[in-house]
Amino acid sequence: MDFGSLTGSLSGAVSRVGGITPPASAKLSSWFPQAASTHAENVDAPFFGIYVVAIFVVVLVVGLAVTYIQLFKRRDEDGRGAPAGSSSLLWQGLFVLGALVLGLFAFSAGFQGFLEQSVTPHGAYAVDVTARQWDWDFTYPNGYVADTLHVATGQPVKLNLQSEDVIHGLFIPELRVSQAILPDRGSEAWFEATVADTFDLRSNIYSGEGYTNMRSVVIAQSQAEFDAWLLAASDIFAGRTMAEVGELLYTAKGCKACHSLDGSRLVGPSFKDVYGNTFDTREGVQIVVDDAYIRESILTPNVSVIAGYEPVMTPYEGNISDKEIEAITAWLKTLSSFGGEESATAGDAAAVQEGN
Amino acid sequence: MSNGTATSNAGVEGPQGYLGGNDGFRGWFDTRDHKRIGMLFLCWTLGVFLLGALFAVIMKLRASSGLVDTPTYHKMLTQHGLLMVFFFVVPAIPSILGYFLLPLQLGAANLAVPRLSLCSLRIYAVGTLLFVMSIAVGAVSTGWTFMTPFALGGDGAFALLAVGLFFVALSWFMTGLNFIITVHYRRAEAMGFFDMPVLSWALYLTGYMLLAVGILFGIIVLYLASARTFGKGLFSTETDPLVWQNYFWFVTTPAAFFALLPAVGVISEVIAGISRKAVAGYRTLVGSMIALLAMSFVTWGVRLIGSGQDPATSFVFGALSILTVIPVALIVYSWLATLHRGSIACAAPTTFVVSFLLQAGIGAVMSLFLSSLAVGQYLANTLFVTAHSHYVMMGGVMTALLAGLHYWWPKLTGRRYHEGLGRFSAMLYTVGLNLAFFPQIIQGVRGVPRGVYELPAELAGLEIVSMTGVWILVTGIVVIASNLLGSLWDGARAVNNPWGATTLEWQAASPPPAENFATAPTVTGPYETVQ
Repeated sequence: MDFGSLTGSLSGAVSRVGGITPPASAKLSSWFPQAASTHAENVDAPFFGIYVVAIFVVVLVVGLAVTYIQLFKRRDEDGRGAPAGSSSLLWQGLFVLGALVLGLFAFSAGFQGFLEQSVTPHGAYAVDVTARQWDWDFTYPNGYVADTLHVATGQPVKLNLQSEDVIHGLFIPELRVSQAILPDRGSEAWFEATVADTFDLRSNIYSGEGYTNMRSVVIAQSQAEFDAWLLAASDIFAGRTMAEVGELLYTAKGCKACHSLDGSRLVGPSFKDVYGNTFDTREGVQIVVDDAYIRESILTPNVSVIAGYEPVMTPYEGNISDKEIEAITAWLKTLSSFGGEESATAGDAAAVQEGN
Repeated sequence: MSNGTATSNAGVEGPQGYLGGNDGFRGWFDTRDHKRIGMLFLCWTLGVFLLGALFAVIMKLRASSGLVDTPTYHKMLTQHGLLMVFFFVVPAIPSILGYFLLPLQLGAANLAVPRLSLCSLRIYAVGTLLFVMSIAVGAVSTGWTFMTPFALGGDGAFALLAVGLFFVALSWFMTGLNFIITVHYRRAEAMGFFDMPVLSWALYLTGYMLLAVGILFGIIVLYLASARTFGKGLFSTETDPLVWQNYFWFVTTPAAFFALLPAVGVISEVIAGISRKAVAGYRTLVGSMIALLAMSFVTWGVRLIGSGQDPATSFVFGALSILTVIPVALIVYSWLATLHRGSIACAAPTTFVVSFLLQAGIGAVMSLFLSSLAVGQYLANTLFVTAHSHYVMMGGVMTALLAGLHYWWPKLTGRRYHEGLGRFSAMLYTVGLNLAFFPQIIQGVRGVPRGVYELPAELAGLEIVSMTGVWILVTGIVVIASNLLGSLWDGARAVNNPWGATTLEWQAASPPPAENFATAPTVTGPYETVQ
């Protein structure tokens, strides 16, 4: 991109001038909070570049004015200034050219970074952020809702921003994230944390009395720590019976798409009255649906398929825990009129198959 | 040589001119004299400034004193912003220096429509009173930018406030109209457009701005009040929240941030006066001011970077606003070239000019940060922006007003203030102002959002510096005020043309009589010495 190369060459030129930039930015870096995301260099570097230019301009203008005032001080009471000559086109041109170069440098310096801020990378980890007077909610892809924002370092994170009432501003200074959140409109922000630490997150758009304390934190940790946290935090077993968890998993794990609960036939057999029932498999073997058969049907579902159905289910081996299988089993028991481990009568089995 | 150094008023005790006469209270209350109206505007805006400044100091003390709780703080912040921007910064230079000087500079006896002058003053006064009443009845805490939908809710006498703002906007409109008509119809016979002094040009151009902005601001404020009351209309919750912000900044950017336009006129005039020289590059300077006026109406979107404006729009406005550097560079060139080989007086206005250059310079380069998109997006809602508006509005507009008041004070009152004290107060003011507002730039970069009640503990040191600056600034303003006002009692008589300047107002007596010029002034080209 033209602008990018222009930025590069201009900022390079600035830093070459007497080596002003390195010591200046070293000292100035305490102006900014800790640089903890990939956005930081896109904000801090242009800032310091423009800062050097700005100091130069102000010192030049004020310095020249003060020098002239000293140099051309009125010597006697009747002194008059030199008659106005025709104005110098050369100097006017130089002033305009200089100002334009500085202006374009300032604008282009922040352009590259702005593009990067505006375009979320593919495959970013998406978190839904809800702002309201005066707190924050963060919803993770698994549906878990927290009041702090946990992220993994080295992983781009996309924030889908929504407001429930008025305009808010998401502001995470250390991550150089600042984005307004408009009600009924939504917006988007993204960042990739590079440092594992805890950062302030707050609103920077006035929204009433609780504005100052409308704050939360971003906790950036390693991918492993983040995964462990999310798993522990979103532990669905906490405070629920095994059967309740099983019911949640029916939706969460996608069983719902192929197995009905009312006895109707979908891609796979209905879960109604399945536990404890007896079926024939495609190979003609009679089986009883017990804990072992359910476990097998989840992990390696296409080994033993009930007659009349195709072996098309995705094996869940590696994608489900033993405890979750137990939960599903416990829940299936509650859906079945056969209950327990007793084998069912042939008539009941026929009824189920008829229903299918 | 220029006239007047040893003439006039020799036998009279004190300054008479327009200040005298036996018409007492009614003579001032019903006055059509542009000079009296300018002086009344001075008193009234001074009152507004003091109220706004009082709020500012109380807010600044919030942390250490516990004077205000959070809701009161937000109310005060709102009132401070509204008072200072719409009742002070926008009208200050046109209403005080403009009313007083425009007819004098044009060689006219009065503004073209004297009744309109008085009407503008009275409507401004009524607007201010309504505004103060709204604070007494129930101060709103919507923030001074009235961001919808937040501004559509909450307590407070919003309707009263809106009518107050409507009146003040109407007053801008009338002032602008009057200036334009005056420049067209009341110039001295021999004076062409390009024979007008730079300040007259600046006031003429500001006239167009006040005309456009006054009527628009008045209308959108009433629309906002109706949206708040009836829940319907252009700015209600049914429309996109950015609609209001676009209208608001379209109006406020020219009015408040480009209130530097009349300031440019004042500073140009003062620099030429103290240097005893013609303004260098006169036509280029006038052209640059016209360009500034045009730019002021097409750069409002820069204020919306970081407000949820889409990136492409931010790009267009950011790039467009960079073009403002062209007229600004030409204006700065003209000032420096005017100082060059001048015969520069070491006087209070000189110090104020340097002060203006420092603060307006910092304010101007700060806008480079805000236009540089990635940086602007980060800084847009921090104390950096607060510091920026204070550098532009107080450091720029207010300092230009003070430079102008010190420069024209002999003409305004016929008195001379204490010169040394004037220079000292200007330095005090400059040191205080920069100490007060520069720390806010750093706080903003550190990531402190604007308008928050509590500041982070690790920035307490900066806040102490800033608070010290506030006290120095307050002291500076008190010294300035007592020096100027004190001169009314015991100041030496001023001569007609203490600066040896060439613009027409210096051909009038100090203070000028009711009809300004006893004999028709001699008109030459701009800044040419009367032969």
